[in-house]
Amino acid sequence: MVRYLKACGRGLSSLRLTVVLLGLSMVMIFFGTLDQVHLGIHAAQAKYFRSLFVFWQPAGAGWSIPVFPGGYLIGPLLFMNLVAAHGMRFKLAAKKIGIFLIHAGVVVLLLGELFTGLFAKESMMRMDIGTAQTYSEAPRETELAVIDTSSNEDDLVVAIPESLLARATVIQHPALPFTLKIVKFMANTSLAMRSQAPNSPPSLATTGIGPNVVAKEIPRTVKQDERDLTTAFVQINTVQGPLGTWLVSNALGAPQAFTYDGHTYELRMRQKRYYKPFTIKLLDFRHDIYPGTDIPKNFSSRIRLIDSRQKEDRNVLIYMNSPLRYSGYTFYQAGFDNSDKTSILQVVKNPTFLLPYIACGLVGAGLLTQFSMHLVGFLRRRRA
Amino acid sequence: MRCTGLLGAALGAAIALFCFPGCDKSKIEIYRVEKEHDSQTSQMPGAPGGMSGRGAVIWQAPTDWEEQPASGPRRGTFKIHGKDGSEAELSITAFPGDVGGLLANVNRWRGQIQLPPLAQSDLAQATTPLSASGRAILFVDIVSAKPIKDGKKSRILGGTLALDDETWFFKLIGPDELVGAQKEQFKRFLETIKVEGTPALASSAENTGSKTNAPTPPTLAPITPPFEYKTPPGWIPQPLAPMRLASFKVAGSNGAEADISVVSLAGIAGGDLANINRWRDQLKLPPVSETELASISSHLNARGHDFLVTDLVSTEPLPPSQRKMRIVAAASQQGEQTWFVKMTGDVDLVEAQKNHFFDFLRGLSISDISRSDESAAHQ
Repeated sequence: MVRYLKACGRGLSSLRLTVVLLGLSMVMIFFGTLDQVHLGIHAAQAKYFRSLFVFWQPAGAGWSIPVFPGGYLIGPLLFMNLVAAHGMRFKLAAKKIGIFLIHAGVVVLLLGELFTGLFAKESMMRMDIGTAQTYSEAPRETELAVIDTSSNEDDLVVAIPESLLARATVIQHPALPFTLKIVKFMANTSLAMRSQAPNSPPSLATTGIGPNVVAKEIPRTVKQDERDLTTAFVQINTVQGPLGTWLVSNALGAPQAFTYDGHTYELRMRQKRYYKPFTIKLLDFRHDIYPGTDIPKNFSSRIRLIDSRQKEDRNVLIYMNSPLRYSGYTFYQAGFDNSDKTSILQVVKNPTFLLPYIACGLVGAGLLTQFSMHLVGFLRRRRA
Repeated sequence: MRCTGLLGAALGAAIALFCFPGCDKSKIEIYRVEKEHDSQTSQMPGAPGGMSGRGAVIWQAPTDWEEQPASGPRRGTFKIHGKDGSEAELSITAFPGDVGGLLANVNRWRGQIQLPPLAQSDLAQATTPLSASGRAILFVDIVSAKPIKDGKKSRILGGTLALDDETWFFKLIGPDELVGAQKEQFKRFLETIKVEGTPALASSAENTGSKTNAPTPPTLAPITPPFEYKTPPGWIPQPLAPMRLASFKVAGSNGAEADISVVSLAGIAGGDLANINRWRDQLKLPPVSETELASISSHLNARGHDFLVTDLVSTEPLPPSQRKMRIVAAASQQGEQTWFVKMTGDVDLVEAQKNHFFDFLRGLSISDISRSDESAAHQ
């Protein structure tokens, strides 16, 4: 067993493997970057860098085959290669401390990227001046919210993610006294009124606004400043039979409601929401320009942070490169709208956001140590 | 041993990373959130543009009411000051659907001034219909039984305006004396309310501030299919619940009630057998087969519409009224729509109203929505 592991370790710690993996990384990054033109940055990241394999699907085919290792395969292999190389060759000696720190930094950097891919969440919080917000919204992911609004106190929300809508046929949840049959799911659509497209095929919807709307499936958008208009036809089935089929879409402003068993439910396809245990109120937004020009000088949001759990109630100024960090979230000034009356904050939750800083610190300290030792040695030899 | 230990740790770490739970993005989430319309701190998405999806509702407020900036989901706020320094507040909000129905909303207001809830049978007495530009606004006036704030009784003057799938609330709350003095002014204010414009799909650009690939937001065709009818005597029009195109209530003796609804669904809406069995199930009757269908239904021809009519009576008293219940229902397919007219209620009251029900069917004029985008008023 030990012999087998040693042989395996020799293979894993091989410098050739390092070179091959670095070469593969370069090729993957090259093609992944080129493919961003067609896929957009997020889809390209998912396809090349955050996958085990890069898959290729022939045009028109319903199947795909892996054609290249993805980032989630190359990264861990590099990680294991580095650790194995140290395990096989590393000898604890003072003169090697610089090299050790550099490699430790690279390991932390690799882990940091992996953890970021797995755990980091980015969303947007949009507020008008004078209004408050308790949730942020995912810019690209949608969800179907089935909201029981019957209680006078609060609403019960069952949020079904887009990824489940895309693959499920029937969705059942203990909190709902009915099932949802996903008759059709379209990741991106163009919508028009039936009166404007009279020759369109009949709608799958039987109630709500759906019968009057024509939804045409179109390819997902790859542009950074566009958003998919996700649409689905959802049939509500009860033990007494179907209540009807609704068209739900994040393009529809108003939710659609129905009553069943004495409860009123709303159906709303919307951007995925992340509720926070605290409230942020936008007090003021400033868009400063250099005098006499239209060139932006500064964007800033003055917000009030209210967290009754932590007895926190304070004003904070968020501006470019000066985010608010609170309760594991980082709020960056990301945009504005509505003639400077609306501020858009980017909300990032990344439990491992410190890892890249630690990695850079380790690599920096390692390089400094290594070069210092060489310099001291060189100076000593020169003096001698 | 050192190298094998390190190698094992590396392999273990790599495997653990990929088997780590918590990255499943397909999980259904369930949570409770504060009601958005009750919260001063949470905002409806994209309000007001995103929420409305309807034509604009406009009003004309008296000059001595002090308008406040809109906040959160509120469509309007006014402060009214009394001579003694007291203050009342008028809030204007709008929410999709019927927000639980008129009874639930009146009882919500009653709860705010510590009054017990009303029963459905008392609702008609508690509300007064007002007319604003041809639309019905239900007005309520409620006073607390005991002092609520600063040793004074509280009073609420309220108005609810039900649009097709949205309900607007106008609520003036404050000390009894001040609010009472504003009663006539508040009623006149309600009568100034107008509904303008056509409903429209909300542009996602309005919601996010980012450009979208959405086409120019198309104008919505009227959702209400065109139809006309004559209201039989004794039938009281009700605010529209979701899916209903017309809704009435008839009151009988001893608190008996019957509910009449008009619904139009696209397609065959399940078919005759499924619908009749659904109604039978509501009366706890066993389902019938296709062959039995003809024996429990008949046809009525009115204005060229062929209605399949059924008359069902429960075999036992049913909750919540613990009375025997009866359903008289008619279904007719017109173009791509199937129309349902249904009367549900106390067995004797429905029997007494049956002729009115058939008169209503005979007076019903339905246009084929697939051939017309024009909406007809259904007064």
